[in-house]
Amino acid sequence: MKNILKILKFEYLTCIRNKAFIIITVFMVCASMLFSLIPGIMQSMSEDDASSDESSRQVIAITKSGYDDELIRKEFSPYYPAADITITDEQRKVIEEKVDSGEYLFAVDITAPNSFTYITKNQTLYNADDQIVMKLMQDMYSVTELNKLGISGEQADKILHAGFFSEVVTTGADITKNYMPVYLLMCILFVSITFYGQLVTQSVVSEKNTRAMELLITCAKPSELMFGKVIGAGLAGLTQLAVIFLSLACSINLAPWGEIPPEIKEFISFPTETLLLALVFFLLGFFIYAFLLGALASFASKSEDLNGLTTPVLFVMMGVYFAVVFLCTGDMIDSTAMTVLSYIPLSAPMAMFVRATLIDIPVWEIAVSVVLQMITIYLCGLLAAAIYKIGVLMYGNPPRFSEIIRLLKKQ
Amino acid sequence: MKVSVENITKSFGEKQVLKGISFETESGKSLGLLGRNGAGKTTTIRILMGVFYQNSGDILVDGKKIDRDHLQIGYLPEERGLYPKQKISEQLVYFGMLRGQTKQQARAAVVKWLDRMGMSEYKDKKLETLSKGNQQKIQLAATLLCDPQLVILDEPFSGLDPVNAMLLKEVILESIDGGAAVIFSSHQMNYIEEFCNDICILNGGSIVLSGDIRDIKRSYPRNTINIYTEALTETAALVNTRYHDRTESVHPDEKEHCVTVKLQNESDKDGLLRLLIDSKLNIDGFQIKEPTLNDIFVEYAEGGI
Repeated sequence: MKNILKILKFEYLTCIRNKAFIIITVFMVCASMLFSLIPGIMQSMSEDDASSDESSRQVIAITKSGYDDELIRKEFSPYYPAADITITDEQRKVIEEKVDSGEYLFAVDITAPNSFTYITKNQTLYNADDQIVMKLMQDMYSVTELNKLGISGEQADKILHAGFFSEVVTTGADITKNYMPVYLLMCILFVSITFYGQLVTQSVVSEKNTRAMELLITCAKPSELMFGKVIGAGLAGLTQLAVIFLSLACSINLAPWGEIPPEIKEFISFPTETLLLALVFFLLGFFIYAFLLGALASFASKSEDLNGLTTPVLFVMMGVYFAVVFLCTGDMIDSTAMTVLSYIPLSAPMAMFVRATLIDIPVWEIAVSVVLQMITIYLCGLLAAAIYKIGVLMYGNPPRFSEIIRLLKKQ
Repeated sequence: MKVSVENITKSFGEKQVLKGISFETESGKSLGLLGRNGAGKTTTIRILMGVFYQNSGDILVDGKKIDRDHLQIGYLPEERGLYPKQKISEQLVYFGMLRGQTKQQARAAVVKWLDRMGMSEYKDKKLETLSKGNQQKIQLAATLLCDPQLVILDEPFSGLDPVNAMLLKEVILESIDGGAAVIFSSHQMNYIEEFCNDICILNGGSIVLSGDIRDIKRSYPRNTINIYTEALTETAALVNTRYHDRTESVHPDEKEHCVTVKLQNESDKDGLLRLLIDSKLNIDGFQIKEPTLNDIFVEYAEGGI
């Protein structure tokens, strides 16, 4: 094992000097910086919009009806402070034309006390105006009906808009609090394990393709080559992730153009223990999959052969990812299936990470899962070295899986 | 240092690739490992390098089992392999370090060997920017970086122009003179004849001929004589008329300017020489015709695979 450090260092330097690697790092750093600038840019844009609104304020048209005009303005104004609320008696066709031309932001044609038509030019996915209008109409109906029963507008308003103060006490973990950061980290975990695993496969196949392997295999043991490669690529991956996360952290904290909105900040503010667990499970997952991918890549003579060889492993990874996402979103994070997945070494890096960060589980469960994964890494390393030794000297069409198993049994 | 390969066998599945191979070489000597494609040369070399292990038999160095951690082996594979997109000096240092050198030793060795190969100016260039011949020189530098005690060269001259071939010859001879044991695998028989003291011909996984090249050649009947002269017709006529009872055949060769005479017995060559001297013909040379290594190779390596 005397050569592992030398191979590791060479592999690490080769990875981080790789043009594609540098381009991706720079791109991600720029993206994270841009991310910090967007809220400021948007804020300045909205300020511009607000100032321009002064000259051309948007208009919301509401048809004349049995409702009191003042009541309508009183209800709508708080929700649309930048718009003029116009009570109109124009024909429906005229209103639709004005909405279509942009003169009206939208219009509400009240056809009966409890019936209305919401008229808008485009109904988009994230436009909630129709729901707001529905709520306001219900409020107006309630106030009007309460008035008829002798309750004053003020009293009705108090009843309808009574403020509640509530708090949630959880005896376990509050999944809602951590869900988005953990989900984001799990995506990063999946993408980074896949991406850095591919670095190992590319390295193996390029050494074989250029025949550098012919010389390497006589200078170092297959196990040294395999461990050196995987650890080197893993460290290169960690370096890249560290650079991206650091630049993101700096961008958030030193955001030059205004504060990042708290809801976004909460989404990307990872608690330290969550980050540490992500790091641990990234390393465990990376080593398990990188050894398997590296071993299979040794049967490829050229890059084109890689897809066929590594697809089964990538399918397993994707299967695990979707299973964990499905169980999380399906409110089955504490289910038996999720518990089982968090102990199976191939799925544990993602499943145990999610369980450990979202719900309260005993520390021994995490420890057992980590130990199982470490044993698997050791076994995968040995298996990968054995496969690698057979594979690197095989040229031509990659063998079938049954053939690989037969060769392994013979070895 | 004496390297002995003793009765090595190796099978891949049902196929027995080596069937009891034995040979030896020692410091300051060169052994030619010959054989047709698929004869078992590369398998033998890979076993020597420890890439995989024999099923039976031993590899001994000075009578003890080979310890590759303490024996510097330089290997030039037939399929040339270095990193095309890496700087030359960086990858040579890497290979030097993998072979046990410290970084400083490896750097010094790289400077020395790039200088010896006349490649110093390319040290910071990527390998892929070099011509095939120059890449070959870098490959040889990678082989000899750690001053190996055992050098294994698999087709070292393929793709080289005569000038580079000359440089490589010098370097290999220096290595042999420096005390390295060289195992040389090639199909270019002229190089084998030039470098090797001993040869070992493999055929179908077995050694069909081995030993000192001179002894092997001398073991062939020495009854064929080449008479070099411009007077081809007169010489042929003289032998046919005055010595016909002791010859098997007489062939004038205008291209080589010689008459090839096959005698019935080796002992008749003295009589033939005396006849030519007495005839006063203008004779330029009188030489016993030995079989070329190519002839010997074809004779022993035909069939069997």
